[in-house]
Amino acid sequence: MEQVIANGLYLGAQYALIALGLTLIFALMNVLNFAHGQMYVLGGFVTYTIYGRLGLPFPVALAASCVTLGVVGALIEKFLFRPVVRRSEREESTMLLAAAVAFFLDAVILLLFGEKQRGVPKIVNGVFVSDQLIMPYDRIVVGVVAIAMIAAFVLYMQYSRPGRAMRALAQDRTAAQLMGVNVDRYSMIGFALGALLAGAVGSLLVTITGVNSGIGGPISIKAFLMVMIGGAGVVGGAIAGGFILGMMESVGLTVLREYGDITYLVIFALLMVFLSIRPNGLMGKPWG
Amino acid sequence: MISRRIALKSMALGAASALAIAGMLASAQAENKKLKIGFVGVTSGPAAAWGTSNVRSMQVRADWLNEKGGVKIGDDTYDIEIVTFDDQKDPKRAIAGMEKMAEQGIHYVVGPNVDDGAAAVRPVAESKGIIYFPYSFPKALYTPPASNAVLGMVANYQSAPAIYKYLKENKGVTKVAFVAANESDPLSQRDGGVEAAKALGLEVVAQNDTYPNDTRDFTPVLTPIVQLKPDLLVLSGVAPANAPLLIRAARELGYEGLISAETAQDATVLQEGAGELANGFISVGGASTPEIRSPEMEEFIDRYTKKYGEYNDESNTKVYALEYIVETLKANPAAIDNVEEYKKTMETFSAPNPFVKEGTLKYVGMTSFGQKRQISVPMVVTEFKDGKFDTLFVGEVD
Amino acid sequence: MTATAKLFASAALLLLLLVGVPLFINATGRSDLYYTLTSVALLSIISAGVWITFYIGRINIGQGAYALMGGYVSAILVMEYGVSFWVTLPLAGLFCMAASVLIGLPILRLRGVYFAMVTLVLTEVARLLALALPITNGAKGIVSIPQPGRIGLFGLTIVPDFATLANPRFAFYVVSVLLMALCFAALYRLKNSRIGQLCQSLQQNEELASSIGVNITYLRVLAYAISSFLGGVGGAMFAAISQSIYPSSFTVADSINFMLNCFLGGLGYVFGPMLGTFVLYFGWDLLFQTGEFQLLIFSTILIALMLLLPNGLLSLRLSGRPKATAAAPPAHRQEEAQARSTAAGRASS
Repeated sequence: MEQVIANGLYLGAQYALIALGLTLIFALMNVLNFAHGQMYVLGGFVTYTIYGRLGLPFPVALAASCVTLGVVGALIEKFLFRPVVRRSEREESTMLLAAAVAFFLDAVILLLFGEKQRGVPKIVNGVFVSDQLIMPYDRIVVGVVAIAMIAAFVLYMQYSRPGRAMRALAQDRTAAQLMGVNVDRYSMIGFALGALLAGAVGSLLVTITGVNSGIGGPISIKAFLMVMIGGAGVVGGAIAGGFILGMMESVGLTVLREYGDITYLVIFALLMVFLSIRPNGLMGKPWG
Repeated sequence: MISRRIALKSMALGAASALAIAGMLASAQAENKKLKIGFVGVTSGPAAAWGTSNVRSMQVRADWLNEKGGVKIGDDTYDIEIVTFDDQKDPKRAIAGMEKMAEQGIHYVVGPNVDDGAAAVRPVAESKGIIYFPYSFPKALYTPPASNAVLGMVANYQSAPAIYKYLKENKGVTKVAFVAANESDPLSQRDGGVEAAKALGLEVVAQNDTYPNDTRDFTPVLTPIVQLKPDLLVLSGVAPANAPLLIRAARELGYEGLISAETAQDATVLQEGAGELANGFISVGGASTPEIRSPEMEEFIDRYTKKYGEYNDESNTKVYALEYIVETLKANPAAIDNVEEYKKTMETFSAPNPFVKEGTLKYVGMTSFGQKRQISVPMVVTEFKDGKFDTLFVGEVD
Repeated sequence: MTATAKLFASAALLLLLLVGVPLFINATGRSDLYYTLTSVALLSIISAGVWITFYIGRINIGQGAYALMGGYVSAILVMEYGVSFWVTLPLAGLFCMAASVLIGLPILRLRGVYFAMVTLVLTEVARLLALALPITNGAKGIVSIPQPGRIGLFGLTIVPDFATLANPRFAFYVVSVLLMALCFAALYRLKNSRIGQLCQSLQQNEELASSIGVNITYLRVLAYAISSFLGGVGGAMFAAISQSIYPSSFTVADSINFMLNCFLGGLGYVFGPMLGTFVLYFGWDLLFQTGEFQLLIFSTILIALMLLLPNGLLSLRLSGRPKATAAAPPAHRQEEAQARSTAAGRASS
């Protein structure tokens, strides 16, 4: 059982980090970023190239992934989402744009990095073994880094100037604008930050699960689930959603395995029931 | 002066004759007819690897044959042109792809790569007179009254009994656990594997465990299975991208038994994803290993690597479909636009296999399907060792 | 456009599809177009369902679930109970309708992305159910479904047995086009009916609509049920064409595509889903010769379209003309929108 809980915690940490970037972009711009998973994949491939192929140290690769995705995110916001948000009658229209961006990134990644599954050497060797618990050291490292990044992100949003501006933006766009917040600038920073987080997770996880060009879409969908559980557009919700989903998978796969392949069916059904009872997730904005 | 004139003359002559020869060559090239061979399958999205290795091996082999002056079928020489269609793993698109092939006058199509696509294109293929070579195992596709599909590889219900028998006899395996993705192809293959294991008197300790195909972390899935301590963990229908992740997760959880798969895998992917943890992994690793391959196969791998930067071991099997089509057409030129002729030829066809040191190309499948609707490729069971596949044994399907 | 002119235009389009296209195909020998256009017709029917849910202000990414359900209902009735396909077609729709009432009652309380995500999950639930339930034959799917049989009345053959036809593709094409015409005529009628106007009030402000006495629960469920009916019918037709159905016949990717079709065509226009489906599906098909660059070109064009026409392809025709035809944008944004679309028209011309 300890093993199951440890698995769940580890899964939860990585899920929460994936969901954070998605929820940030949603909170700021009401854009459901279908391309989030593709950004994760791109981050993974940048690390693969720098750490796996060129043999540079892993922190360099991690930084490079973050920077690349931050820039990509900023460009996508400035040249694609901003004009479309401004001109479309219904803000849901950005979903088509987000999906198109997802297809585009998929295509670029497939052409640049090929169709094969890629992996990199482990960052730390060895496995922690005790009577109840087995955990490879690299997972522990990645889990700790993920939690540290989550904490840093929360602190940044709480206390830094851009963080406060972004929170104001998320609460009420018009009011924030009236109070002198540069909406365009902070939307761009927020989008860049969201993309950067996606790149960071991709970079961290490539050391454990590798990466391949096709997993972007499924990752996005999983991230949507976590965001829904916790409540869209709320940082705390994304973190809670990530850990809840991680734990449900871990426990469900152990407890329900006797009954065949119904774990995910149960998880999804529970999610639907839960959202019917609490239409805004655990702590979401009332509109959603 | 004279000598100079002669020199000029001879130079002009030389140039003219060179031009003429070039022209003749060019016209000879231009005279070659085109033989279009189709591909309908998945080359984008999460399963892109399957179709991509198909397309690339077809392309490499076609270029190679064309470079040698084309293929002589009957009285005509043909250049081979590969027409590809990406169905995005969507059966509805696969039908559209097959219709496109028919419209282009193509009678021989490689693919689709998955069960639902292969089933969906059947009506089109039968009404439009197309023989297709799916990489999908359901027997209904190949047993009468179906007659236009030819299985392009060794099915898992053919390889699994051989592998389990070998492991039972040589490695003392008694307890087997199965794990599969919760999609049609892997689940069907798991059921086939469970049946084969039970028939051999092996104890099946886990057969209901599944994972979504997009799982990235397999520790939660494997934790309960590893605790059952099976001797053999079978990864049914595992996608090449998932195999290293599963192996790594199982080993890191302390699993010490054997791991096997009945689908083709790629050595580089295994090495990058699981490293030395993948050592000892048993799979029907394509239809080729250094021990049995011919110089022709070496050259194919070489050309593939040159053209695309990196080889894919799945292509060991996937190079065969095009070869069978071309060789069968050579044996019976009337089949070039008449699949009924092709079907007749399949009954008796036999030709030397260029890709192995010794072997023949022939159609098989009597035991499994009651008719010859499968291409014979060497069933090479391999063991992964330090980035390479070592041959355990070579079998054959009848 | 006056009502007569619209009627005339619709009749002309139908005539073109039923007579013009077959003549064109016969002349050029492009017989593969039959299936492509059949797909477009059926997918636009399914997308039309999504459009209805957009009309009540819900983003529906769950239509694939009903298409799959409809396909299975039809396939099971034909295979297990020997029911004629033509009977199963409406039955599949009705079954989905009933299911959607049960599912819709709780989940239609959700809005925005929550509804979108729950419906997305619904697609996955449908696939997993199809894998797990005994009646669907699980992972092995249902294959070798016979072609639609004959319909006769007093010994007269109204619809021949498809298996005896020389070209069943053409027959499927005709049936699909007729279904599409029926579907969009009904949709047009619905939009301009009292219910349609009430639905639009939901799109703008549910609380307000409720406070002036609109039974919003009833309306929401009704719209969702009609939407699911269309999904089920479309799915059943696909099962008949491919003579097989698998749990993966309609997936999340399909659900997302149905939604994108509506966006691309324009959410404010009844014919939006039809045009959107045509462009998305045909666009992908036309690009098939570009091989490995297909997806890259396709997505680039999509992004460009979005930048030029963020309100859908059909918003193009608004540029020069007064706003009378479209009822799309919420009232308070209408003026703004009009100003913008004129500007967009100028910019793009």
